[in-house]
Amino acid sequence: MRNADRLCLAHFWVAFSAFLAACVLGAWQMWVRSPLGAHIGTPGQYFMSVTAHGVSMAYVLTTFFIMGFGYFVAVTALNRPLPGLLWAWVAFWMAIAGVVLVVIPIGMGQATVLFTFYPPLTASVWFYIGLVMVVVASWIWCGLMFVAMWEWKRANPGKPVPLAMFGTVANALMWLWTTIGVAAELLFQVIPAALGLVQTIDVGLARTLFSWTLHAIVYFWLIPAYIAFYTIVPRAAGGRLYSDTMGRVTFILFLVYSLPVGMHHLLMDPEHGNGTKFIQTLLTAFVSIPTLLTIFTISASLEIAGRLRGGRGLFGWIGALPWERPTVLATGLGFVMLGFGGFGGLINMGYGMNAMVHNTSWVTAHFHLIFGGSVVIMYFAIAYEVWPRLTGRDHLSLGLLRLQLWLWFIGMVVMTFPWHWLGLQGQWRRVANFNYADPIIASWGPLVIVSFVGGLVLLASAFLFVRNLYVLHRAPSMAAIARPLYALAVHPPHRVPAALNGFGLWNVLVLVLMLSSFGYPIAQFLIAPSPGAMVHRVR
Amino acid sequence: MSIQPAPADSSSEPADDVDAEALAAAMRVVPLGAGVLAGGAVALLVLGYLAVYLLVFLPRGTVG
Amino acid sequence: MSEAHTDIHEPRILATELLWAFGVGILVAATLTMIVFTALTRGINPPSNVERIDPKTLHLSGEFAEHNLGTTVAPDGSVTVRAIATQFMFAPRCMAVPQGRRVTLRFSSPDVIHGLLITGTNVNTMVVPGFVSQVHTEFTSTGDLLMPCHEYCGLGHSEMWATVQVLPEQDFKPGPDGRVSCAQR
Repeated sequence: MRNADRLCLAHFWVAFSAFLAACVLGAWQMWVRSPLGAHIGTPGQYFMSVTAHGVSMAYVLTTFFIMGFGYFVAVTALNRPLPGLLWAWVAFWMAIAGVVLVVIPIGMGQATVLFTFYPPLTASVWFYIGLVMVVVASWIWCGLMFVAMWEWKRANPGKPVPLAMFGTVANALMWLWTTIGVAAELLFQVIPAALGLVQTIDVGLARTLFSWTLHAIVYFWLIPAYIAFYTIVPRAAGGRLYSDTMGRVTFILFLVYSLPVGMHHLLMDPEHGNGTKFIQTLLTAFVSIPTLLTIFTISASLEIAGRLRGGRGLFGWIGALPWERPTVLATGLGFVMLGFGGFGGLINMGYGMNAMVHNTSWVTAHFHLIFGGSVVIMYFAIAYEVWPRLTGRDHLSLGLLRLQLWLWFIGMVVMTFPWHWLGLQGQWRRVANFNYADPIIASWGPLVIVSFVGGLVLLASAFLFVRNLYVLHRAPSMAAIARPLYALAVHPPHRVPAALNGFGLWNVLVLVLMLSSFGYPIAQFLIAPSPGAMVHRVR
Repeated sequence: MSIQPAPADSSSEPADDVDAEALAAAMRVVPLGAGVLAGGAVALLVLGYLAVYLLVFLPRGTVG
Repeated sequence: MSEAHTDIHEPRILATELLWAFGVGILVAATLTMIVFTALTRGINPPSNVERIDPKTLHLSGEFAEHNLGTTVAPDGSVTVRAIATQFMFAPRCMAVPQGRRVTLRFSSPDVIHGLLITGTNVNTMVVPGFVSQVHTEFTSTGDLLMPCHEYCGLGHSEMWATVQVLPEQDFKPGPDGRVSCAQR
């Protein structure tokens, strides 16, 4: 049983080490593309860095953190040992091997294809094999999450699955469904091309398969933050979760509606028509609903906490909340970033408005704010909550934790807000160096520098975060943590309908929606493949 | 301390220190404040969206 | 805490959640309606012509052969701009378009994925090898606009852009072959 501690910590340290390295790279990139670093670095170095930064943040930080947090929840929310501990370690080492196979080609300049690796650009085959290994390892994690929940239900017939585990399993299911797209793209198209078995590649099909994964993957990253909102934050604030039922509904809505909307990343693509794109916009509008429900339910939960602490009047409860607690602070800052990030997302998904912002800095701003901002700040909060429980040592002072969170928030705002504006001016993405001699581009220079300063603040915050965790390993051992972790609902359920306690029905709905939305768009390429583009090796 | 499983009981977490009377009193008002806060935020979101649509997007010309 | 005490809350809690969900649902529906309305009345759509073409023979003959690139005015007065996006340039590097008239822009790629936007306008499209991308628009003001490649296409991506010259009507004069070139400055 003690091994589960080490299992969780191992995953978290890999995640946060990759995160810190990626932050360093990100800051360097921002310097190089600003007027301040205009003649530093070659395009080869820049795009190698972008590839490493994207792969670390999008595939390593996330997958390892989510796996570690999932194991933690499976043990603590279900109050039982983790089933299949050996398999969990097998998965961990497979994922590590995968990361090594990914990083080496990147470092050798043989995989400069960015984390979206759009074929026909083709990297070294080891890069793709490494990614496949990380994904397969995560599938093992999914299996263990199912087994844990299934065994608990068998031992507790008729009882509601604890909400934190329900959300974790919903996330695992969604991950299995969504990785099918990128797995198919890699196994049937990209790896054969990288091995030289085929000379051309159907790019329309490849982009469509990748888009299958591309949206739900961000919800895979997001759901742990929402698990924290529903099951950790209300207790940390000293109150109750307003509605356990809405928590379940939210996770189900994410499972169902984040999957069929991937093609909204292809709104500017020529391989799909108006009808497909309009349906994608429609479905994407639905996936905004669980977030809108969440902000109400969590605000209400915080309102309970604030009023219990004596807050009066319409807004007095806000000031009365225990903001000195890092989890509460992170939630408040996270919600502000969620508001602005969500705003950017609503514009992106617009059937018409996407044209105004596609592939501009607006997009970069949006996903850094919503993922790097609101989601990652909750990853910090989760880490600060679980670290004492994993290490048996408590934080000596919360001041440095709060400082780290504030720095992250300020840095993220200062970095991303100018990018939104620059995107509207037409500044485009993935540029190693801008030609600041051009008058249009020169006018962007000052804001690019402001954005870079934000990036430096984030870098400082990232170092402080790692420091705050590291010192706990060195701190003197303390008494067991008294405060329980998970929140109670105002009305803790004793029974819930089967539809809110399992996923049988929802899997069917997912299948129906996936067939309806992706069925024809993919089948069209299988029936009549688009003219193949020549494989283009990056070496 | 490691993450040890605790004996299962009727709820999966030990009871919290929230007083029943205080909770009932709070629940007479909740979610009014949350509704206003979240509703206000969503209203601002919608206004911002419309502003960008009408003032930035449409003036740039129709595309089809 | 007694069960009865907490039970009285739950129906009311669910009622408020439903009320909120209803309000949110109305907002989502209203936004979607607005999108449909503008799509139908003003013809605002993402570029979606779904037209296939072989990237391997693109530049050799047919519509995207080199001599056919650039701006052409057809006998019926319609203006079409044709360009190729390739590693690492657009051909032609400068395109002339008229102000205040409907223009059709058509792009394709013989090699990898590119993309483009035209600053100050809503013209934005991916250029995917295997397909022709088509955008219709009307340029509202005169001047020189930047048309960068906005999708990573390799190490030379940062240097890949073209210029779009929006000419006032009196300066937009097609030659005898219907072609219009950029004004020399």
